[in-house]
This record gives sequence, C-alpha cells and structure tokens, in this order.
Amino acid sequence: MLNDILRYTGLFIVLLAIQVLLMNNIQFSGYVNPYVYILFILLLPFEIPSWMVLLLSFATGLVIDVSSGTLGLHTAATVFAGFSRPWVLKLIAPHDGYETGDLPGMKTYGFRWFIPYIIIITLLHHFALFYLEVFRFDYFFRTLLRVISSSGFTVLFIIIIQALIVRR
Amino acid sequence: MRSLLNFLKKYGNVLLFLLLEAIAIYLLTVKPDYHKIKITRIVNASASVLQERLNLASDYFVLNEINQQLRKENRELKNRLERVYNTESLQTFEATDSVYRQKYVYVQARVVNNSVNKQKNYITLDKGKLEGISEDMAVIGPDGIVGLVVEAGKNYSVAMSALNLDFRLSARLSKNNYFGSLNWEGVDVNTMVLNEIPQHVSVEQGDTIETTGYSAYFPEGVMVGTVKAFNEGGGDFYDIDVELATGFKKLNNVYVVINLEKNDQTDVEQKINTEQRR
Repeated sequence: MLNDILRYTGLFIVLLAIQVLLMNNIQFSGYVNPYVYILFILLLPFEIPSWMVLLLSFATGLVIDVSSGTLGLHTAATVFAGFSRPWVLKLIAPHDGYETGDLPGMKTYGFRWFIPYIIIITLLHHFALFYLEVFRFDYFFRTLLRVISSSGFTVLFIIIIQALIVRR
Repeated sequence: MRSLLNFLKKYGNVLLFLLLEAIAIYLLTVKPDYHKIKITRIVNASASVLQERLNLASDYFVLNEINQQLRKENRELKNRLERVYNTESLQTFEATDSVYRQKYVYVQARVVNNSVNKQKNYITLDKGKLEGISEDMAVIGPDGIVGLVVEAGKNYSVAMSALNLDFRLSARLSKNNYFGSLNWEGVDVNTMVLNEIPQHVSVEQGDTIETTGYSAYFPEGVMVGTVKAFNEGGGDFYDIDVELATGFKKLNNVYVVINLEKNDQTDVEQKINTEQRR
C-alpha cells in the first residue's frame, strides 16, 4: 500500500516535470498542445474508488493549472476525464472482466485494449479543455481540429512515456 | 436515514463530480483576476525567479541575434534623429515649449516568461510598479507591437500578449490611413487578422500595417506587420491576414510605453461619454 503511494507520487512528479518543462514548451503550432499528465489518471489501479479518482483528478488539474497560470482550466477538464474513467473502463472491459490487483497498463491487457482506453479518455479530456479554453463558439471547427490533432500527439507521447518509464 | 445513505451511495460520485466541476468553473470564471489569487501569485513569483535564472543561461545562445536586433534598432533611431536635425537646420521656426512636450516615456524591460501555444497567452516582464509601470500600458518590441500590461506587481508585471483571443487593437494601412480592428484568431503565431477595412480601399500584398494611436495606450505609427493575404469576406469589408513583424517566439527586449497624457485623454473622453448619455 505504502509502496503504491510512493510509486504513484513518483509517477506524478515525473509526469508533472515532463508536462511543464517539455510539453508546455512545444511551440510548434496552435494545433499541437499535448497534455500527457492525464496518464496519471489513466494508470490508477482498477479497484480505487471513484470518489478517490475524482479527488486525485482535481488535485492533478489544480497543480497543472497553478504551474501554467491557467487556474480552473485543467482542473475542470481533468475532473471530467476522471469522472468518465469508470464508464470507459466498463465500456471496453474484456470478456472475463478485470482481475483485482491488476493495473490498467499496456502490459496487463495488451496494446489492443490500452489504445482505445487512452484514445477515448484523451479525446474527452482535450475536448473539455480546448472548448473551455476558447470559451466561445466562433471557432467551433478550428477548435475541434485542435482537439483531434493535439489528442493524436498526446496519445503518441503517452505510449512513448508508458513504454519508457512505466516498466513495472 | 437509510434511504439518504442509499442515495449518497448511488449518486455520491455524481454529486462530488458536480461539486468539483463547479469549483473549477468558478476558478476559471474569476480568471481575469487570477494573478490576484494569493497562491498563484506566490507560485508565479517563484516561477518567475526560476525562469529568469534559466533565461540568463539560455540568453547566451542568442546573444548574437539580440545584438543584431539592437544594432538594427539603433541604426533606425539614428537615421530618424538625422532627419529631425536636418529639417531643423533647413528652416527657421518659432518653437514654443508646449509644442515639444514629451508624450511618451519608454521603460526597457526583459521578458522573463512567455508563451505562444495557448489561446490566451501572457508575457511576464521583469519591471513593475517601481519603474512606473501600471495596468493598461502598451508593450512594444524593437520590431513592433507586443502586448498590453494587465497587471503590475512591485518588480514584475504581466502583459497580455497580442497572441491572445481577448487582445484588440486599432491598426491602419500606413499608405492611406484606413483603419480597422486587429485581433488574433488563435492559430498561427505569426499572423493576426485586420477587419473592417472597406473593400473600395486598395490593398496589396506587402502593405505596411501600423498602430493608429486612437487608443490611449499605443503610440501612433508603431509597426504591426505587413499584409500577407486578403480576401473579400462577407459584407463590404476585407479580411486581411497580417504577417507580424514581431517574432513572438523569440521575445527578449521590450519597451513598456508610459503615456504621460493618458489620464488627460481618457478623462476628456469619459466626460463626453457621460454627457452624451444624459
């Protein structure tokens, strides 16, 4: 238990550093803004209660917001992603359900389970995030394009990070 | 009691979700004052100090570029000075002091934090109230417009970048003085859009766009950029894509413009407004 808490704290710090120091500095185009910190929410254990996921999402979003000067924005989007997580997990559950004690990683249930899982949650998160950021309907289709292209890059980076760091 | 517990068990998560979402949205909507919230201010201050250290190091790699920019600016200023001296020596004229009152004071500042990848970008400068900077002052760079100060601390200030969906500026075609409203559409960091130029005006690619000086913030004739493309949108007006002169990705030295007559102008304008309303 204590071990898990330490592990997740470590993961959190690593993801925060990657997000703030690397990802936030990608100034390539307005269409590419990956937000990989949601990997933290994605990788939480299956049996963790939903209210805990919500609180952790809130905390994660708040920390990202404070360090990038966008108070409330990431918090709202991450809480939304955390709220949708149980439903997404149910939606794409394997035939014989999840084993207790398993972690929702690429290794446990394979690539073909993991990819839809991150794509759906990333899209939901980015959708909330980008529309809240723009906060107007003038740029509806442009924002949609930004959601899709940034999600693509987020998924790509998440797979790389997952393969590099989260070996356990 | 049991039914209450059952209800909580069933819908507790939804309630918690709504509560947390409400807090987040609340924080989001008070955003114009986000720098007034203590915790962000503390974090921002320490982040600025850290960022400044990092900048000092990374500045060395672009010293050449910065030097070149400053040399170019110097050359232009010297040429302008030369023109002024020459015209003065050519003609005699009566000079009264009131003609030569100074309208603007420029405060040199360095960019310590900057982003271009958000929809609402802000720039942190290393000068604040101690240098006379306050809200609503224009920020310009060696090449052109940069932004507008929205919050001034003691030693630091935060400016809204021109690359911000909320940024509006009145700008004109320098060749014929037709003016319109300039804003950013959130896509390309090198392009802003100038609206409200009537279609009977001749516009060509490469035409210079500059500020009008109608606002009490920006001086007249500051470079904005050049016309990159234009099309006849709906209505009788052009949509003009303006290639920005300022490279926002490499902002370093900027000037905050203190308008000594700003209060004068805004006071008079306000007076007229209240009188009209009556």
